[in-house]
Amino acid sequence: MERDRIVSELVRLVGRENVLSSPMHFKLYEYDASLIRSQPDCIVLPTTTEQVAAVVRFAHDNKIPVVARGTGTNLSGGSVTLKGGIAVVLTRMNRIVEMDIENQRVVVEPGVVTLDLKNELARHGYLYQPDPASEKVTTIGGNFGENAGGPHCLKYGVTSNHVLGAEVVLSDGQIIEVGGKSLDNPGYDLTGVLGASEGTLGIVTRATLRIMPKAEAVKTMLCIFNSIEDGGNTVTAIIGEGIIPATLEMMDNPVIRAVEDAYHIGFPVDAAAILIIELDGLKDGMDRLTERVLAICKQNNVREIRVAKDQAERDKIWAGRKGAFGAVGRLRPNYLVNDGTVPRTRLPETLLKVAEIGKRYRILIANVFHAGDGNLHPLILFDERDKDELERVHAAAAEIMKVCADMGGTISGEHGIGVEKLHGMSLIFSSRDIDAMRKVKAAFDPAGLFNPGKVLPEKEKAA
Amino acid sequence: MSNANLWISALRDMVGEAHVIQNPDLLREYAVDGLAPRAVVSPGSREEIAKLLVFTNAEKLVVAPRGNGTKMAAGGIPGRLDLVLSTLRINRIVEHDIPNMSLSVEAGITLADVQKILAQTGKGSFLPLDPPHTEKATVGGIIAVNDSGPRRCLYSSARDLLLGLKAVLPTGEIVAFGGKTVKNVSGYDMTKLMIGSRGTLGVITEITTKLLPLPEASATLLASFAGLEKAGSLLRKVLHSVLLPSAMELLDEKAAGQLGEKTKYLVAFSLEGVGEAVERQAAEIGEKAKREGAVETKVLRGEEDRSFWIKVRDFAVISAVSVVLRSNFVISAQAGVLGNYEKWSREAGVECAFIGHAGNGIIRSYMPDGGAARTAALAGLIEKFTAEAANRGGNLVVESAPRELKEKVRVWGRPRSDEVVARRLKEKMDPNNVLNPGRFVGGI
Repeated sequence: MERDRIVSELVRLVGRENVLSSPMHFKLYEYDASLIRSQPDCIVLPTTTEQVAAVVRFAHDNKIPVVARGTGTNLSGGSVTLKGGIAVVLTRMNRIVEMDIENQRVVVEPGVVTLDLKNELARHGYLYQPDPASEKVTTIGGNFGENAGGPHCLKYGVTSNHVLGAEVVLSDGQIIEVGGKSLDNPGYDLTGVLGASEGTLGIVTRATLRIMPKAEAVKTMLCIFNSIEDGGNTVTAIIGEGIIPATLEMMDNPVIRAVEDAYHIGFPVDAAAILIIELDGLKDGMDRLTERVLAICKQNNVREIRVAKDQAERDKIWAGRKGAFGAVGRLRPNYLVNDGTVPRTRLPETLLKVAEIGKRYRILIANVFHAGDGNLHPLILFDERDKDELERVHAAAAEIMKVCADMGGTISGEHGIGVEKLHGMSLIFSSRDIDAMRKVKAAFDPAGLFNPGKVLPEKEKAA
Repeated sequence: MSNANLWISALRDMVGEAHVIQNPDLLREYAVDGLAPRAVVSPGSREEIAKLLVFTNAEKLVVAPRGNGTKMAAGGIPGRLDLVLSTLRINRIVEHDIPNMSLSVEAGITLADVQKILAQTGKGSFLPLDPPHTEKATVGGIIAVNDSGPRRCLYSSARDLLLGLKAVLPTGEIVAFGGKTVKNVSGYDMTKLMIGSRGTLGVITEITTKLLPLPEASATLLASFAGLEKAGSLLRKVLHSVLLPSAMELLDEKAAGQLGEKTKYLVAFSLEGVGEAVERQAAEIGEKAKREGAVETKVLRGEEDRSFWIKVRDFAVISAVSVVLRSNFVISAQAGVLGNYEKWSREAGVECAFIGHAGNGIIRSYMPDGGAARTAALAGLIEKFTAEAANRGGNLVVESAPRELKEKVRVWGRPRSDEVVARRLKEKMDPNNVLNPGRFVGGI
């Protein structure tokens, strides 16, 4: 169908005020936070589930691809309309539908910004645990589509451990309910399968989330090391001692310097690595636990430890960590952030290999990583207008992905496969594994309408 | 349709004669709802399972996977059963990565054996799952059913613990999903799909899971109540506090009695963690209980503590009843649902014991089946229980019941709108409908 007809049909379905169709808008919605660019044929911003279903039904009947989108911060190209079609932007569906403290659940529309939700919950003394660093701008729907993590996932799990149910629009416009407020509803865990499905299986129009009371006590420590190895050994030793902190985050020297330049928090710019350790839980025994952790740091040559005295100091430490990508973004025009994950114990040797790859390709790599769960984020800095550098960056990124796979890890810990990592799927999955996933796709979306060209590589021709 | 002797001899070729059971007397022990298979086969490896399933798929033979059979009484009545596939020979610990706090283990080993080994290795760890059938349940069966117990309150369930899974699909392909990392979003979360899939989408051969360090200390606070309202009020107060019990249970008089506690209602809190936190919580919950008018409170430690929870988990075995139901609903409805269940079972003249996993919004109901004369009454009661759970945001599943009763009730409770996708999934993964057909939700 021609673009003009698509636009006029959508205007009829959702109203002129919810449709964007100017050349400027096509340009604005052609990208996300990855390097992938591709324009949609039309953009709609529905305000109700019925509108989403009507748009999808129309698209289904006319074989037009549909890509759901939150705030477009996707790092792997998942939000880009690779094959054109309709971008269904869910940011206007941003209500907190029901705060059900009694049942420790909250029901939200997908366009709710994660931090907004958490701030609202905080007023009731409650928490939604997942805390991706992008929570200031990302939406619950987007978080779920990518199964976003965040520093606290070491102890509390990732988004799909806290999404217990959803209302979903299928590719033929049918609306179904998966999961719910109660646990263990009979059937397959379709809620679980939707997590990390990157918009390829269904459009979530409501999500039921698990919330819990705020912890009684929290202790945040900033530990400064003269080598990444010492930091890594500290992490291994803490967990080996049977202590599971809420968080174990590390940043290397290039990141520390970038953060200091941007935010002037007081991070030491000559440190090789900073480790942020946070303990939370009941106050009883917290001091003893803290002493044990500090002792382990000292056994591993920690240079200095700063324990946050109050919430303000704690917030400052976290601002430095959560603003890390933004700070690094000031150094060069572009960055590509890898998302490989390795078993925690192999993190130090993986980082050495990453550094070696950086040297070999003559590119600057700054490292932020979730040391507790082995999810690295090598930030590869470059200028995309320098075609030679861009090529070296892609080659380096591919090598880093392979290193992670070879270490017994995976190619994506939280940013998704999207388009960017399609070629890496064969590093970790056999063709049988991917065929099984294709069956899941076919079961949810027989028409192949939702976010085509993402997550699963195109089927290879038979030999 | 193949001649049975032909295909059974093909099985013998695949796994060896010693690992095929054909003796009719022995086969009866493997019956599902009274339907005996024509053979039982025990493959020794994933590759043998693959060969078997390629064969059964081609021959369209109906297969039921099985560990120790503790949960074979659940689900719809099979229309046909050709082969039971036992996983018991596939029972190795594949890798215990102590510093990574992860364990890869095959399906046929019992959880009890796994916990023993973990407790004795290094500084001691455990897999935080405590489902029923403590001694007999196999890891594969527990995961296939998504079974859980009281400590799910703090430690969550399989979908929050598993890092990866290996299986053989109904069409015989060997597949592996996830891995050893806590974070993994590569591709679809097939591990979550397989958890709780009840042998309808494949035979799970191995799982990789997170482990936790053994807690430094533990104790249990018991509080007896004369009335349900106050017991419920205590539970609510603890649930919404900063306290972190690992389990919160609400037992009725009958269940409490079978555990040796004489009281109308028993509330039990399992406390695990650092010593200071366990003592603080025992004291504080004890205080709260007294303020709610508890008749008595006491603290269990050591062996008394351990054996109390094993009795709670294995209540079905201890009480030796044949009908076990599991209702799920929103957390705040715990006392309300229990009150209604008690009232209706009294009115129906059915002797029922109830154990509520109050931290999770689950109640297990245990009833004797009372023979053919009582089937209609029981079926009516189960329907009432189901409606109540559905009205409170949940559903009801029959975990075990005699065949005659199962025929009269909906063992999977109320239908759900997502069954349309579930059916399509089954069709895609098992086009010849050979693995456990007809035993799952929506007739899958």
